[in-house]
Amino acid sequence: MADPAADSPASLQVFRYTAGDDTVRAVIGEVEAGLPIEELVAHAKEALKSERFMCYAVSQDDDFVADELCFVPQGDRCEILSIRTNGWQRHHGDHRRSLVEILNNLAAAVACGKLRIFDETELLQEARAGTELLHFAIDDSASLTTAREAVDAILQESVIDDLTRQRTILCISEAVTNMLLHGGGQGSMTLRRLHDRLRVVVADEGPGMNFLNWIEPPTKKGQASMGYGFKIILDYLDAVGLRTGQTGTTLLLDRKTD
Amino acid sequence: MLRTTIAPGPAPTVFLAGEMDLDCADTLREAVAEAARGAQTVVLDFADVKFIDSSGTGIFVRLSLDMRSQGTPLAARNLSPAVKGVFDMLRVRELVGDEVFPD
Repeated sequence: MADPAADSPASLQVFRYTAGDDTVRAVIGEVEAGLPIEELVAHAKEALKSERFMCYAVSQDDDFVADELCFVPQGDRCEILSIRTNGWQRHHGDHRRSLVEILNNLAAAVACGKLRIFDETELLQEARAGTELLHFAIDDSASLTTAREAVDAILQESVIDDLTRQRTILCISEAVTNMLLHGGGQGSMTLRRLHDRLRVVVADEGPGMNFLNWIEPPTKKGQASMGYGFKIILDYLDAVGLRTGQTGTTLLLDRKTD
Repeated sequence: MLRTTIAPGPAPTVFLAGEMDLDCADTLREAVAEAARGAQTVVLDFADVKFIDSSGTGIFVRLSLDMRSQGTPLAARNLSPAVKGVFDMLRVRELVGDEVFPD
């Protein structure tokens, strides 16, 4: 008999602990009944005190509702990243990346300040920062070329070198591809000029990030994420902002231009 | 958009040009299938590929593994800088094997 949990999404939840508090609040996802708040707070305090991020693999049978948890200190607050796997195997045992590796990459990116996880208020503020240069819909794979050309044209006017420009375009392609494949197949892209950077906002109204999409095998046509798209984005861009949930995913992709 | 040109011969070569992204799967598969008829191996020439992302790379990896299992392995040559950079980052050589890159 098939395990019903096998098809459940492996979703990202992020909680935030602020020093001095005795509780955590949800940034992505919800604080559900049964969440071991005291334990989360204790781990968050420990991470803040040690100034190191800490990851735990927690079995489904434990009191924790997540399989993988990372505590990432950031100044006076601690981001708590959780990938809920619903018992889905954590390791593929082949070349694809494990959820543990993915979560560690995310946690490391948060820890070094490259990845920022936004709540709704922060997202609204950041997604409207600067001056809008261009806004257009993304609704099919032909949009990939449009997106790349739009970013290329703007970066050609800046002083960044060719390699950095090409890597930025690659990242935009990865973000738009993820939207087309896993974000409901449509959305929008907005280019904004901030004082020292170009910000590309890629937004969809899909079902939110499902990490199984990051490690699942390619389809027969080969059209599937190898799990590396987001790694490329984090490796190559100057800063990334993320909000994801059941009502969609928004990525803010920043390239410094001076 | 990916464009392909086939040079027939004992080891036919598919010259690739343009962009390899989500959209290239059908074009690439059809060109390789045509080139592979009666051949023992098929060479893919990447010299004129100006752009590739992880989707394009995944399509190449999948096709490479499929063709090997069908007895007509692929060989990749003349990787453009854009392709080499992404292949190196995604450790494609480990995924498909050194023999795919005879250069």
